[in-house]
Amino acid sequence: MAELANMRNIGISAHIDSGKTTLTERILYYCNRIHSIHEVRGKDGVGATMDSMELEKERGITIASAATNVTWKGNDINIIDTPGHVDFTIEVERSLRVLDGAVLVLCSVGGVQSQSITVDRQMKRYNVPRVAFINKCDRTGANPYKVTDQLIKKLGHNAVMMQIPIGLEDRFEGVVDLITMQAVYFDGPQGDDVRFGEIPAELEQKAAERREIMLDALSLFSDDLMEAMLEEAVTEEMIHEAVRLGTLSLDLTPVYIGSAYKNKGIQSLLNAVIKYLPNPTEVRNVALDLDNEEAEVEVISDDSMKTVSLAFKLEDGQYGQLTYIRVYQGRIKKGDELYNTRSRKKFKVGRLIKMHADHMEDITEAGSGDIAALFGVECASGDTFCHPDLNYSMTSMFVPNPVITLAIDPVDKKSADNMAKALNRFTKEDPTFRTYVDPESNQTIVQGMGELHLEVYIERMKREYKAEVITGQPQVAYRETISKAAEFNYTHKKQTGGSGQYGRVAGLIEPCEEQNYEFVNKIKGGSIPNEYIPSCDKGFQSAMVKGTLIGFPIVNVRAIINDGQYHAVDSSDQAFQTASLGAFRDAYPRAKPIILEPIMKVNVEGPTEFQGNIFASINQRRGIIISSAEDGAFCTVEAEVPLSEMFGYSTVLRSLTQGKAEYTMEVEKYGKVPQSVSEELKKEYEERRRKESGKK
Amino acid sequence: MVREELNKRSPLRIFENSIHGGLGNGNLGVIASRHGIGKTACLVHMATDKLFRDEHVIHISFSQNVNHVIAWYEDIFKEITSKRELADAMQVHDEITKNRVIMNFNQENVSVEQIVRSLKTMIVDGGFKADAIFFDGYQMTTVDPAEVSKIKAFANEMDLEIWFSVSPVLEDVDFDQYGIPSTLAPIVDTVDVLIGLRYQGEEVVMTVVKDHGNTNPTRLALKLDPKTMLISEEN
Repeated sequence: MAELANMRNIGISAHIDSGKTTLTERILYYCNRIHSIHEVRGKDGVGATMDSMELEKERGITIASAATNVTWKGNDINIIDTPGHVDFTIEVERSLRVLDGAVLVLCSVGGVQSQSITVDRQMKRYNVPRVAFINKCDRTGANPYKVTDQLIKKLGHNAVMMQIPIGLEDRFEGVVDLITMQAVYFDGPQGDDVRFGEIPAELEQKAAERREIMLDALSLFSDDLMEAMLEEAVTEEMIHEAVRLGTLSLDLTPVYIGSAYKNKGIQSLLNAVIKYLPNPTEVRNVALDLDNEEAEVEVISDDSMKTVSLAFKLEDGQYGQLTYIRVYQGRIKKGDELYNTRSRKKFKVGRLIKMHADHMEDITEAGSGDIAALFGVECASGDTFCHPDLNYSMTSMFVPNPVITLAIDPVDKKSADNMAKALNRFTKEDPTFRTYVDPESNQTIVQGMGELHLEVYIERMKREYKAEVITGQPQVAYRETISKAAEFNYTHKKQTGGSGQYGRVAGLIEPCEEQNYEFVNKIKGGSIPNEYIPSCDKGFQSAMVKGTLIGFPIVNVRAIINDGQYHAVDSSDQAFQTASLGAFRDAYPRAKPIILEPIMKVNVEGPTEFQGNIFASINQRRGIIISSAEDGAFCTVEAEVPLSEMFGYSTVLRSLTQGKAEYTMEVEKYGKVPQSVSEELKKEYEERRRKESGKK
Repeated sequence: MVREELNKRSPLRIFENSIHGGLGNGNLGVIASRHGIGKTACLVHMATDKLFRDEHVIHISFSQNVNHVIAWYEDIFKEITSKRELADAMQVHDEITKNRVIMNFNQENVSVEQIVRSLKTMIVDGGFKADAIFFDGYQMTTVDPAEVSKIKAFANEMDLEIWFSVSPVLEDVDFDQYGIPSTLAPIVDTVDVLIGLRYQGEEVVMTVVKDHGNTNPTRLALKLDPKTMLISEEN
């Protein structure tokens, strides 16, 4: 097991087409995990455009594994896969939770693009220190200076170039290291031989200037360096220390440059990963103590302490379910007993492995900070495994509610069986993907965070589980809420032989922005006995499951009871539940109910020439343009658009912009549906109800 | 306080009265000063005042990052609403934010034609019927006066008013007693309203240097509050 100081858990995050796959492959190669580099050329013969799946098939290696372990100069690096698309928010966030640092890959031509912005925002949220790598410096139009500038201005990084390029585009030869002030070349057919030389004469002045800028920026992080600069006695160690301090505190992003495709600059990047990104002991991790109202508890990277680990990814391999875990505290040994704090079940650790690019290695234990995988553990992604004495959770139990639903029907019996298997698997992997059978239509419904999110799972059903399904139209998960307070005073009374039912509840319902539902008991003098108070609570909650406007759940309501009446014989739990349900339904129409819909934050990016089409497409979709930014020939438009209007947008956008624009979206909030749409939805609901009652 | 009352009592009413009821459609207004006096805050307050009155505004910035412009709007909104104790502030916020668009350009590589084209695209294709446009930090002191005339023609064509905040680009520029940089001289004829901001002791005072046809400088009974950066009535 590696010393903790020599361990790094990193992610490689990139915009599509920035060369993440090629870079990852080169890293695996230089770390001697694969034995040769195959030329990976796209159809245009220009660059690495094969995706990792194809590559994996062809090469028999695993690039897209959830975590791959490599060794660089005696250091253990776990490379954690970070999904690129924001539709899979929970998956992205979970992988960000697991990594301690990241390499932000940018294309030297495309620069900072919409997806980089989204992923960067998420990394900021999780306090992930970053090293930037500006790739593709051999491409026409490469300009790492411009991209560094964009890192500063668009992403707000304190980005500092640690290298400058020697030549660019087809004359890109190597880099000048601004710390050692040497030229660095990567010789040999696969760039294995790193050769140091004099800085080319024409670059001497530029290198000196850039070093000055670098030192100025770094001096903020180290008094020693600042003093040494005045005395002109700066050492390499001082610079490394300052970069490290700045990077760890997220106040600095060192920028490296190269071309993965041309095998240039990777070794320098790996050195930077080891030197500047944190080891597991340098990152503060907290767990939530489930026995103490989810109070935060710091978990310590110390093998001698009680185990806390997180299952961050499940994979269905040929030998069964593989559960990737990160150990945060203590260690996991084969044969240990662990406790799954979500399912509240204990289990024994069976086979424990480490995933390398070309093979998996059986190991007997994994220590603090390490990443490993378990075989045959019944669990869901996001579960926490603890020592049986602890009851911690590494992730909050909060999972965002899905915003879109889709009805799916298997085409035959075989597909139906396979579909059930697939759904069982996916819901375990991803808590934002849910499924249920609609009792009214008897159809299987899947729910998720966006159209693409569901599309990917439908595709996976076909590909991995051979389950052919017919999908319906995607439906938006609307909500209902109230816009003003309304009082109620409702009596439920039933006398039909035997003991009757009696309960009276009085109070009010009012809007409650802070949470979905709150129950407030203001009963004084026992007009409703204590034993029936929970019944009232239950009754209100059952009323909120389905609103009367369009049949969707009701949210953001505070139900207050302040009076009531009971009967010594006829009152019961059921009577007060029914009374509260009736009271809610009675007050609801008076509380001016409204319909809410999910509003997405949409980021569209494309050439300025198509700006008009982009604006128009948002305008036609009831969208609000928040901002638009233009830089040269590119523009980025940020807008808020109702999800119901975004179905099929990718196809529309492609045709409007000759395929040159792209977009990302994530759920922003729930917003009020305009009157006209609201009327339409109510009408549809009424019709549906009429049809259904007609059937019955 | 409710919104109508807030609008009635806004110090911007004094400002408008001082310039013959406002800038007026088809016209250009300039707020000029040294750097760091509070022009952006002033501009954002003027834009927010329009938003409170259900007008549509486009804010143009040249900073590459729209987030800090949005932060300015949020701050000014908070200051105004807490000072006036506005009822239903969050609802008002949601209502007026819909009527604001921020457009960001890199002035180094964008021409006036391009800016005007994009604005037209926003108004026509984007269906955003702007009543006023605010150019924040436009380098008016170094552009060809013909470029400013093109913006004026656009204001005319689209029937809207345009405000600029201007600081000199070059160093070592002289300022007159009202805070107007000398390098602004070539375009003064093209603009309709010119406001100068300058420090007087601890306070920032506002002077109407040009008001449509009138070129007799008049000190406004308004100042920039150094704490909140809001345009406020003088005590």
